[in-house]
Amino acid sequence: MRYSIVVIMMGLMMGLSLSSYAQKSKDRDFFTVKVEGLGCPFCAYGLEKKFKEFKGIKDTKIEMETGIFTFTYPAEKALTLEQVEKQVVAAGYTPADTRIERADGTVEASEKEEISSDTPENANWKEAEIFVAGNCGMCKARIEKAATGVKGVASAEWNKKTKQLSLKYDAGSISIEDVESAIAESGHDTRSAKADDKTYDNLPACCLYDRD
Amino acid sequence: MKRILIIILFSSILFSCGKETEWKTEKTIALGEVTPIGITFTPENGGRFWLADGDNNRLVSFDKEFKGMQIEGEYERPMHLSYNEGEILIPEYGSDRIVSWKDGKKTVVPLQDSLDAPGGVDARGKELAIADFYNHRILYSDGNDWIRIGKKGKKEGEFHYPTDVQITDNLIYVADAYNHRVQVFDKKGTWKKTIGTEEKMNAATGIYISDNEIFVTDFENSRLLIYDLNGGLKQILNNGYDNPTDALIVDGKLYVTNFKAKNIVVLNRE
Repeated sequence: MRYSIVVIMMGLMMGLSLSSYAQKSKDRDFFTVKVEGLGCPFCAYGLEKKFKEFKGIKDTKIEMETGIFTFTYPAEKALTLEQVEKQVVAAGYTPADTRIERADGTVEASEKEEISSDTPENANWKEAEIFVAGNCGMCKARIEKAATGVKGVASAEWNKKTKQLSLKYDAGSISIEDVESAIAESGHDTRSAKADDKTYDNLPACCLYDRD
Repeated sequence: MKRILIIILFSSILFSCGKETEWKTEKTIALGEVTPIGITFTPENGGRFWLADGDNNRLVSFDKEFKGMQIEGEYERPMHLSYNEGEILIPEYGSDRIVSWKDGKKTVVPLQDSLDAPGGVDARGKELAIADFYNHRILYSDGNDWIRIGKKGKKEGEFHYPTDVQITDNLIYVADAYNHRVQVFDKKGTWKKTIGTEEKMNAATGIYISDNEIFVTDFENSRLLIYDLNGGLKQILNNGYDNPTDALIVDGKLYVTNFKAKNIVVLNRE
């Protein structure tokens, strides 16, 4: 009998909670974006400003320490994961995970990229250190994402102080130059590959490393 | 012998008077959840420190011992503050405006220009200067007319995201954040000099100019740099700083805000 009462009470509480959530968010979708490397308030608040271009955005919040950016948006506009991540990238930032809790209760989440999933088993692994220009934690996120986005790269870790990228890659399928090109395309100069001026200029303020 | 001792004593007193001592850390004060970006001080009613709490979209104040925190209202990403003749000016980075706080009342400062993320403001008598971050320029008014100083670039007189500004008797000092330097202009907007290029700063986010020194917070390098008014480096402080954002001297003590560590470093030169 006592067990039945407990089950009924829990059911009622869950029902109330869901009902409250539905009422609260029936017109608005809730977005959570994890942005890599947020560290400078000027840039973090700049990301927030960039999202003001989405007319109707509300309840924006940025947690600097975790890099989590949240906001709500009118459900009828059906803002997509791709649109959100595109806006993050357009602002010069690197999205890690994006999640949407739709007003109707459904949840969408970005798929995590698997690094070098098609790397052959008999790969010729090599390690290398390459110079990559950059300034801050946001640079680190962008550089590492660009490097690990190259098929054949197993790991990449950039040191903010030394500006060196420690790389583990399959020398049988890719070259260091392939990795450097990808990094330059993201806006960061290496010894042998330079980012184009437009891409460099679009980096957030704190990422504008000295090119002289 | 007595005469020699007197001469030695007199000489050492003269020597010590002529030599300026270095700034030394006295203590660090934790601020709880406050993420300080700008600091100012109001002398009325015993004196209070005011902090722009950027992450929490608010202004907070403390007594002179940094106790008795009061929340002084909501502001959209407040930045480097200014105090002038009973009025606090708050640049709202998130809403592109300057807000005045006086006797508990908030009003928007009327401007004849559009701002894009003001990072700092300074008022001195009738003069007003604003660091207009995304527009890469400084707006300055002598109380009658406005001038625009600078444009995006790296040359002398150009800016790359200015974050703070201070007006002195004859000059305007600018924290040219992402050109990693301080630039100095006269009040007609003519470039006069550049400071700090040798120190390889990584974002000069905040400045404070005293009667004889220039203080610069070097954000990413977590350092405080101190120069004389000619731009000569006097001291580098790098222990106990964690993404510093602003500095201020009150009653002979230097106060430096640490954004990431959420604290204030207090220094003296005793």
